[in-house]
Amino acid sequence: MTEQTPQAPVKRGLKSDQFSGLMLVALALYIAWANQEYPVGSLAQPGPGYMPLLLAIFLGAMGLLIAFWGGRSRPLRDVQWPEAMRATIILIACGVGAFALERIGYRLTVIALMIFFTGVMERKKPLPVLLVSVGFGFISFYVVADLLDVPLPRSPWGL
Amino acid sequence: MGETFSNLMLGFSIALQPHILVYAFAGCIIGTLVGMMPGLGPLAGISILLPATFGLNPIVAIVLLAGVYYGAMYGGSTTSILMRIPGEAASVMTCVDGYEMTKNGRAGPALAIAAIGSFVAGTFGVVGLMLLAPTLAGWALRFGPPEYTALLMMGLFILAYMSGGSMLKTLAMAGLGLVLGMIGIDAMSGYTRFSFGIVELGDGVGIVPVAVGLFGISEILITAGAATPDNVQKPKLRDLIPSREEFRLSAGPIARGSLLGFLIGIIPGSAHIISSFVSYGIERRMSKHPERFGSGAIEGVAGPESANNAAASGAFVPMMALGIPTSPVTAVMIAAIMVHGISPGPLLMSEQPELFWGFVASMYVGNVVLLILNLPMVGLFVNLLRIPYGYLYPGILCFCILGTYSVANSLIDVWMMLIMGAVGYVLRKFHYDLAPVALGLVLAPILELSLRQSLAMSAGDYGIFVERPIAVTMFALGLIMFLFAIKPLIFKKGKDWRRDVGLEEAEGS
Repeated sequence: MTEQTPQAPVKRGLKSDQFSGLMLVALALYIAWANQEYPVGSLAQPGPGYMPLLLAIFLGAMGLLIAFWGGRSRPLRDVQWPEAMRATIILIACGVGAFALERIGYRLTVIALMIFFTGVMERKKPLPVLLVSVGFGFISFYVVADLLDVPLPRSPWGL
Repeated sequence: MGETFSNLMLGFSIALQPHILVYAFAGCIIGTLVGMMPGLGPLAGISILLPATFGLNPIVAIVLLAGVYYGAMYGGSTTSILMRIPGEAASVMTCVDGYEMTKNGRAGPALAIAAIGSFVAGTFGVVGLMLLAPTLAGWALRFGPPEYTALLMMGLFILAYMSGGSMLKTLAMAGLGLVLGMIGIDAMSGYTRFSFGIVELGDGVGIVPVAVGLFGISEILITAGAATPDNVQKPKLRDLIPSREEFRLSAGPIARGSLLGFLIGIIPGSAHIISSFVSYGIERRMSKHPERFGSGAIEGVAGPESANNAAASGAFVPMMALGIPTSPVTAVMIAAIMVHGISPGPLLMSEQPELFWGFVASMYVGNVVLLILNLPMVGLFVNLLRIPYGYLYPGILCFCILGTYSVANSLIDVWMMLIMGAVGYVLRKFHYDLAPVALGLVLAPILELSLRQSLAMSAGDYGIFVERPIAVTMFALGLIMFLFAIKPLIFKKGKDWRRDVGLEEAEGS
């Protein structure tokens, strides 16, 4: 009986570099499409659309080359995203913070964000969360706005 | 030489004024703290502090921001050595042997050699800046649009050659940055490009939201939820003194790292990061006992730490002499100077000698301040590392929003920062280097304008680039570098320099 050596299974499917390269090609195509609005001019007299078109071609070419040579990269499904949910929540919270910044002022926005991140996401104890959040909001405002004279938004209630 | 000396004396007369000293000291402290915090590298630190410098005198502003820059270079080594967490990217190589030294009970000497190496290299870099920048500026007075076009193209070619990872990915990221730089009003025709009806985008995409998003926010998105290491060593002052043998072994790496770092710092790209990788590779190759590397060789700390600090000084040469940023950090610093109506470039030294020489002298002072700060006060700084990451990253996020918003009081900038944070997070997952994006963004308007001005000068004749000796030389040099860069891609047997210096050859490149 011949002894069979175990071989690692060859993983089929799209590779990570092939995927990212194709995404760059898609972006380049979009840029070239959006660039139609601007006159390209000629080689001798480039117009406002000349350089963006040149860059779209360059980006697309790089994307194609990355995808072409991407066969040796790891499979796309091996790219791990364990923190993706947390990252998305952080981004959404920051987006809400950005929306609120000019409406309820810097201090209230920062306090709310700090309470959300430390209290809700990190599940720290309520008292330290409150102290850190309020302290951070007021002290950073005092240093940046009062000491360094950087204008920061205030709430309609003066906070 | 006599003129340089008298100019330096003028610089010291400015840098030693009490209020400038206070700002240099504050910059160094902030930089050290920023460098130690994972997620806040020098770029994010400088960007966040930028609005606070608008109300300051330009000399004070540049001294403060430069202090943050080289302070962060120093600070990054502390977390690398004590916790195996690089505070900023240039300290990655310091982690390897620095942390092993900590495990072997030699954290003190590792910190001391990192600080001494940084001091020597930083001082060497300032001397280089002082001697090289005026010469380069004098030469650059002969530059016209064709020379600037050639210089920028050469910079992009060299960036491809010197990229730490995949050359194709680096070029793609530079292309992405250049595309972002196309957003806004075209200076020659008045067309508003790719603004999607958003008035604020008419001015283009700012470097600060892009830099903070790509480097600060994306780092937090990747590391949020990470546990805080519970055992952080707190070395005592008496433990810091290296042995005679450790001094002997470190002398060569510090000298080589200083020279190498300064030279790499002048060229575009993530110079301080690449220089530390190259220095580590060279030291390992030159060592009689390369097997010690990875298990606590002090040369593996001395070389990279010296190189990244010298590179930080080297990056100021093209910034001051040519007005061209070679790294995202210098791009933000140029923005800080330009807010005051001063344009860095060949005329800066003759028109604003106080600013240039005051800045050079302040760097000497800053290096001494950092040496004093980093050795005796390391125990104090280490306390920062005890703050649970669950409290630290929300604070960093709020600082990112605050810093980006206050540059122009624009919420669009905050949205741009968040978008770039998400983009940076995804790109990092696919192993793309982000520094060329920021660099491309800054270089795009200069490149486009100089190209179109060159063609206007020559009535559309591209021969202007080969008729002018400086331009054609720079194009040729860039092309040679580019051919070297693509050699391993075409000829599979071609050996990549990255492998020679111990860097991983990138996938698919």
